[in-house]
Formats: sequence, structure tokens, C-alpha cells
Amino acid sequence: MAHNEQNDVEQLALCLQDGIAGSEHVDPREALGLTADAADAHVARALVRRLAEYDLDQIGTHELDPQAAQHPSVRPPTEVAIDPSFLGRLSTTGSAELSVARIDDIATILAVLRAGSRRQRRAALGTLRERLRDRRTMSGDALREAVQTLLELRDVELGSELAQIRAELPGTQGREARNEHEQWKRLSARVESSIAAFWDGQSSVEPIQALPGDQRALLLMRIGELPDLVVHHINAIIEGSDGCTTLDSRIGLLASLRYATDTRLVPALIAVLEAERGELVARAARALGGIDDARIHPALVERFERSFMEEERLALAGSLGMLGDHRGAAELRSSLEEDHPRLLLQALEAMESLGSAEHTDLVMKFLDHPDVVIATQAVRTAGRIGDGRVLDELTEKYNATSVPALRAAIEDALSAVAARMELRGEEAAKIDWSEVGNKPDPRKSRRDSFPAIILGWRDCFMGRVWLLLGRLSWAIARFESAAARRSAWVVPLIGIGMAFARREQYALALPAFRRAIEIDRPRIERNPILVRAMAKAFLHRAEQVEREGRSDVARGLVGEVLALDLRRAPGTVRFELKRKHEAFRREEHPHVDSAA
Amino acid sequence: MSILLRDAAARYLRTKGPTVTDGAVQRVSVDVELDGRVETVMLSFRDGSLCCVSSDGRNDGPHTLAALQFIAASERRDEPPLISLDPAAATLSERPPPLELAEALDDLLTAIARVGADKAGYAPSVDAAIERVVQVAAQPTPAGLARFVGRLQQELRSGEIWRIARVLEGASQHVEALRASDATRESEERIDAWLGPRPGIKPSVELLYDRTMIEVGREWLACTDRARIERRYLIDAQSGAVYREDRPRNAAASLGPCPRELRVGLAEVEAGPSPKRMRVLQYEVDPDVAIESWDCVRQVASHSIAQLTESYRHSVRAYPALGEPFAVIAPYRIETHDVFKAFDSDGHQLVLDRTERRGAVLAFYDLLARGEQLTWVAGRLTDTAATLCLVPFALGTRNRPYVRL
Repeated sequence: MAHNEQNDVEQLALCLQDGIAGSEHVDPREALGLTADAADAHVARALVRRLAEYDLDQIGTHELDPQAAQHPSVRPPTEVAIDPSFLGRLSTTGSAELSVARIDDIATILAVLRAGSRRQRRAALGTLRERLRDRRTMSGDALREAVQTLLELRDVELGSELAQIRAELPGTQGREARNEHEQWKRLSARVESSIAAFWDGQSSVEPIQALPGDQRALLLMRIGELPDLVVHHINAIIEGSDGCTTLDSRIGLLASLRYATDTRLVPALIAVLEAERGELVARAARALGGIDDARIHPALVERFERSFMEEERLALAGSLGMLGDHRGAAELRSSLEEDHPRLLLQALEAMESLGSAEHTDLVMKFLDHPDVVIATQAVRTAGRIGDGRVLDELTEKYNATSVPALRAAIEDALSAVAARMELRGEEAAKIDWSEVGNKPDPRKSRRDSFPAIILGWRDCFMGRVWLLLGRLSWAIARFESAAARRSAWVVPLIGIGMAFARREQYALALPAFRRAIEIDRPRIERNPILVRAMAKAFLHRAEQVEREGRSDVARGLVGEVLALDLRRAPGTVRFELKRKHEAFRREEHPHVDSAA
Repeated sequence: MSILLRDAAARYLRTKGPTVTDGAVQRVSVDVELDGRVETVMLSFRDGSLCCVSSDGRNDGPHTLAALQFIAASERRDEPPLISLDPAAATLSERPPPLELAEALDDLLTAIARVGADKAGYAPSVDAAIERVVQVAAQPTPAGLARFVGRLQQELRSGEIWRIARVLEGASQHVEALRASDATRESEERIDAWLGPRPGIKPSVELLYDRTMIEVGREWLACTDRARIERRYLIDAQSGAVYREDRPRNAAASLGPCPRELRVGLAEVEAGPSPKRMRVLQYEVDPDVAIESWDCVRQVASHSIAQLTESYRHSVRAYPALGEPFAVIAPYRIETHDVFKAFDSDGHQLVLDRTERRGAVLAFYDLLARGEQLTWVAGRLTDTAATLCLVPFALGTRNRPYVRL
């Protein structure tokens, strides 16, 4: 009887599946106890009722078909062949046969650190950290080379990991890193108590947005070390459930999380992918691309498959590329060929993870782009692709350009390409830095007379004394006097700039820094303390004028400082300047909503 | 009536100069003193209706009337109020006759049955029938009806014939309730669940006071369009009851991230599909959930999978199209060989549903593979091949009190 009932119900299920109007199956009217002339509406109601009742009666805790319940495999095959070279197959997890964790040779680890993908670089840094903890196993030369590389590395994407490993180093650099960590701890504690006050209703000011840009970047750089309260608060902003943050601020925060690796952010970022559109989705996708978590790939794929807005698709394609899924490569190539001005930067960035040697020419054509940021990104992308054919062209461009930021990017790209060629087993590229280093000399002027030198030093010395005594106006007068005596001398100008910058009078610091840059730019760019103060002065002044509603002026300031070689400036300041520059670009090319 | 508060507000506004003019006040909470007794009255404008809740439980009592007079007096006095003072009767939007909607739903059901579930996903007749259902319903589309449309489209895409039948059976039951000549309590509740509060009929709500709720998960749900409603799942830390808070896109709801601890001063709970919908009216939020609170969640978690199955069957039978039960489970033991299985002490098993939230399922397996020892798991209940399954949203382990998936 039961068998018959099951047969009947299965027959009825087939009827619903194929339609009662179809002729393949028997008429369900008889099985449902209806008359032969019963209307379709009656048949439909009776049919679904019968099926639903049977289905609900069956529900239990039966054994499930093992095939149906097994661990799901969600990574689909990629359409583009994965790079078969050493670097292409180098895994970032310890379990794989060819993994970063198993590399013993320090030189190879350092090469991966220069030329690998973001994940590989991060893993290489982790491996190097472990090796440095047990220094007895390393030779003196290898140790020196490793420490030197760590100190010279200016990789914003690895800011948090670099800060941690530097804090474990001995000497001045280690001390500085530890001091910076202490500073971060104080900032974190302050923000945590502000957040508690915010949710208690004692304060209506959202604490993260209230921070100056560089401090926000500093706080978020080590997001993995932040307490749950702060991360949950950040998640509330990301999901738009904090009740006060504007859309622009949400976008800004998502941009600040670009290099975050904390898995606690993943559910909120995926919620943005699922529910939002446009810029929010693109930013969330970029942040997710750098995090190692099983939830990310299915979410990115699902959104990529249903999104039809190019801005979203480029970001999603780039993030999928970071996870080894190249399904967006062809579309990315088309976008670069079409040369859409609004999406050029995003496309070049995405090409960092999806590009291969066949894309080199396409990327290199943007080397002469009038927008320095685009040209710099093209150089960076070429460095990540690592095709040896670009060495000559990059060297030529290095010697031809007068833009410091571009020259700095080319230096980094040349190193990355050379390291990548080495890892691929190709002939090691010998970069002739004597040819590459054809830098313009600082402005030469007539030689100062001996009395001018003496009097200049005296004024400068007095200026410092007045500064120590807190007499700012008297000190500035002395510095100006020294600068007037020796027009090509930057020391008094730097003194003025630093004095104003320390007092947070950024509008007054800028002219002094500008004059100093005009006289001897390399001196400022090479000095980490000066370049930090100068970059911060530009950033904070840009924030000030932006708050006053003068966005055009702020955009000019950010563009001006980004044209300089900022590699020695703190990663957080560089990151914030780039984020701001992108935000201004977004305002320039307004966002078009999709109906996704 | 004393209007000292309004006078003080007016004086303050005069000192601020030009102010915002476009804001729409959707909810106010006022403390009203009457005959020496202070009660909190919450007035909100929801789904085109005025809703009044008083902390003394008398939603049409003197405190409520005083609050309404206070609000109404702040409007221009020469115009009658737009909203009826009778909370149940108050409505602004034009509502279609229920029979028209019943007919549209019936047509949809017939269209799918005629063309067959396999082809219904891309059949013009089915698309037209769905459009008609949405058109004849009140605007904006009521949440229950919108969710039905979302679920139906989702199931048609998945091709799961038993689930399609179940969702259509839900629509069929709703049609019967709309056409019923004698309204029963059950049919009224069903109509409320689908269409929201109706003019002239007092919605069936239960008031909750002084509860601690822990939000363990949230998700965006498809309705008439994608990601229309954000659903938050809240666990009562004392009773273990599960509630949902539905936030339509661009609408207000209680604030805070997930997870969070809500100290609910006052909330209304609607009768309807499981989990029951809660509207939080007065609350304090703490985004940092204490370890003790997670212990409470673990303690109130369900230990019997057999009972869970029975309760799931009951919930889905009551609302086949809208019931989406959620549960917190503390398994007696688990198996993590090829397939994850959670068992209760009687040997009944629960498996994961791998058709939804695939990333969460993967992350769940990853956590177990790293040696984390599961203490509780929370998720939406479903069934596959007549077996009770769980779509995981959150879990607790011995090392980590809470992990959001």
C-alpha cells in the first residue's frame, strides 16, 4: 500500500514538474480524487496540497545520501591556464609540496618577497620571521641581507606584517617599530573607549571617522590586533547599521580596509557584496581579495556572475584573480583596450593579479599617460607581471621622466622584474644602475661668500635656540634671514617647515617645504623624518581645506605630494594619500548606479 | 494639556536658525505623566498605519491618548489629522479588495501547474502572473507577500519540486484564508503574516519587557527584488526563544553590528511564521557580547534533534511558504569524517545544507578541520531529501565563544 502511495505521489510530482497541460503523463485528476472536468485551478491546488502533505510527513532525521552531503567543492575550473612556473605554483599554505614555508634558501625567500603576489609576499615575510627568530641557523651574510631587505622594504600592502617583524629586530629600527606599536596601542585604547561611549549613547560622534586620516590608517593597519568591540563597530559601519555614517564615509572606511587581513571582517564585507551596489561593492571586493578565508571565493563568484556594472566587475575580477580564479581576465583586457578613463586605474590595479606576459604591451602603453597616478600604476602592474622585456623600456622612461614618484615606482618595478626572472630560472637581469640613475642634479647656484655662510649658520643656530625657548615668530625670522643670505641652502627652510608642522600649522609649513623641495628635492625625499613631516603636512592641510568645502584645493595638494618619491614616508600616510586621491577621482567621475 | 516640552523644543529651535525640513519622523517615544503615573508610549507610522504601544499594556488607554493629542497638536490645528486615532483602523494607503489578490495568487498557482515547474522559471505566463500578484497587492508590497515571491523564484531556479510544491501550498492556504466567509483566528493570523496589519482589525501582537537578546546572525533575503530584507536572528538569553527582526532596505531598525547584545526594554512580537517577527521599540545595545552571555546561548540551545524536527515540521506545516525556522543546537556528539553530522543523545542526526551559503559551509568545515571543538551551532533549518538540515550562521567552540559564518 505504502509502495503504491509512494508511486502515486512520485507520479504527481512528475505532473507538477512537467505541467498538467503536458501530454507525457497521466491526468492527475483521478489520482487526486477530482472529476474529469475539474478546472485546472482546482487541480493545481489539490496537487500542491497532496505533494506538500506527503513531503512534510516524510521529514525526519534519515540517513542522507553521502553524495548529497559531502564537503562541497565550490572552486570552479579557471578558464585561463595557471602560471606553470615556480612562482605560479608556489603555494602560500604549509601543506602543499611547493610552498613558501618550505623554502630554506634566504635569497629565494627575499626574491619572493620582492616579486611574489600579495599572498606569497605575506607568506614569505612569515617564513623570514621564523628564520630570524632562530638566527643560529643563518649565516652572517644571509642574516645581514635579510635584515637589510626588511629595513628597505616599503610595501604598503604588507604594512602590518612588516611592522611586526621590524619590532622584533634589534637596534634603532627595532626600537622605532616598538615605539610605533606602543603609539598604536594607546590609539587603540583611546578609540575603544570612544566606541564604548558611542554605543552607550554618551557621544554622538562616530570615533573612527573622527580620526585624522593617517591615524585612521595607522589604527586599521593592525586591525587583526584590535579588540572585538572595535572590529564589531567597524562591521556596523560597513553594513550601515551604526545609524549615523554617510555613504561616502562607508566607502572611505572600506577603502581604508583594503589591505586588512582580519577574517572577522569577512561576514560584513560579504553582506555588502550581497546587498549593495557600485562603489561599495567594488571596495568590499578589493578588501576581500586579500583575506584568506573559505567564504570569500563563493561570494565573489556569485556576485561576479550577476553583476553587470563594469566598475564592480573589474574589482571582482581582480579579487578573484588574487584567489587564482582568472575568469575575469578577458573582460579586463577588453576594458584596458577600450581605455575608459574612469575605470583605467581600477583596470590596471586588477591586472596586477590577472596579468601575464601577453598583457605586457597593453599595460606598457599607459607608461606615457599624462596622469602620473595612472602611469605609476602601469609601472607597478608591469613590475607585478614581471616580463623581462620591459626592462629597457622602463630604464628609458626612468631617464626621461622628471616625476619623482614615477622614478621611484620604476626603481621598485625593475627590482621586482629582476627578482621574478631569477625565480623563473631565467637569466638574471643585470640592471645597470649607473645608466638608470641619471637623476637631475639639485639646482646649482653661485657659491656663497664666506661671510654669508658664517652669518647664515649663526642665524640658523639662533633660530633653533628661539625654537627651544618657544619663541616661534623670532625663530622664523631668524630662519628666514638665514635663507635670504644663502638662497640655495635648504636647512633654514626645513627648519621653518618642521617648526610649523610640529605645531600643526600646516598651511604655514607648506610654503617652506615647497621652497625646500624646489632647491633640493632629493634631500627631503631621502630623509625619512623630513619626508614624513612633509607628507603629513600636505595630507593634514588637504583634510583641513576639504572640511572647509574646498575640494579642488585639497585635490591639488594630494596630487602635488603624490608626484614626489614618498617611499620613505610612513606606509599609513602614503596609503591615506592614495585613498584620498582615489576618492577625489571618484568625485571627478561620478558614480553611476546599477540596478543589480 | 501641559505642553512645556513642546514649548522648550520650540525655543531651542528658534536659537538654531534654519533647520532641516525634509525629515520624516517615523517613530516617537514619549513619557507621559497622568494621574501621578508615568508610562512610556511609543507611536510609530508603519506600513501606512499608526501603531501605538504603551508600557502599561493599554494601547488605547489614557496615556496613549494623551501622547496622540500631544503629537496631533504639533500639526496645524486647522487641519484634521491625517491618521485615525484608532490604531487598528488607521491606514493611509489604498488597499485592494482581498478577492482580487486571491484571484491573482490562484492564477499564479494555475500558471505554474500548467506549464510545469521545470519551465516555470522562464515562462512568460508565470512572469505575468507574478507581476499581477505584485500589482494588485498594496504598495509598497507587504513583507510577507514579497518574501513569498522571492522564495518562489528561488525555488523555481533551484528546481526542487518538493519545495516548490510547499511554497505553492502556502499560497493556496493564503487564498483560502482570503476567500473564507467566516474569519477564524488562524485565517486572520495568516492574512496578517502575508499582508501586514489591516484596517479595522487589531493585529495580534505580544509585548515583551526587559529581555536580553543576543543577535547571532543576519542575512539578506530576496523578495520581489534581490536583497530586499535584512533578517537578524535574535536569541532570548533566558528562554532560548528565537526571534527575527526584519529590516527592509533603506528602512530603520534597531542599531548595532552582529553579534550584539540587546537589552530590550519594550518590544512587540507578531503572531505568524517561525521565527516570530519582533519589533524592538526600546533598547540598549552593546556590540561587545560578554562571555557569560555566550554561555547563556549555549545553555538555552536545543539538545534534542528529534524535538527540533517535530517543531520544524509543525512550523512549516503552519506556514509552508513563509516559515523559515532558525535554531540553536548543542550537539551531544559530532562526526566530522567525510560528512559533518551532529547527533543528540538519542542518536538522531542533523547534517548541513550545502545548497545555501556555500562559503559558510566551507568555513564551518575549515574550523572543524583545524581542531575546533564545537559547543553550539546556530542556523536556519531546512530539509533535503526528507532529512532535517542546517544552514549554519554562527557557532561556538571551546576556544572561541562565537564565530560568525
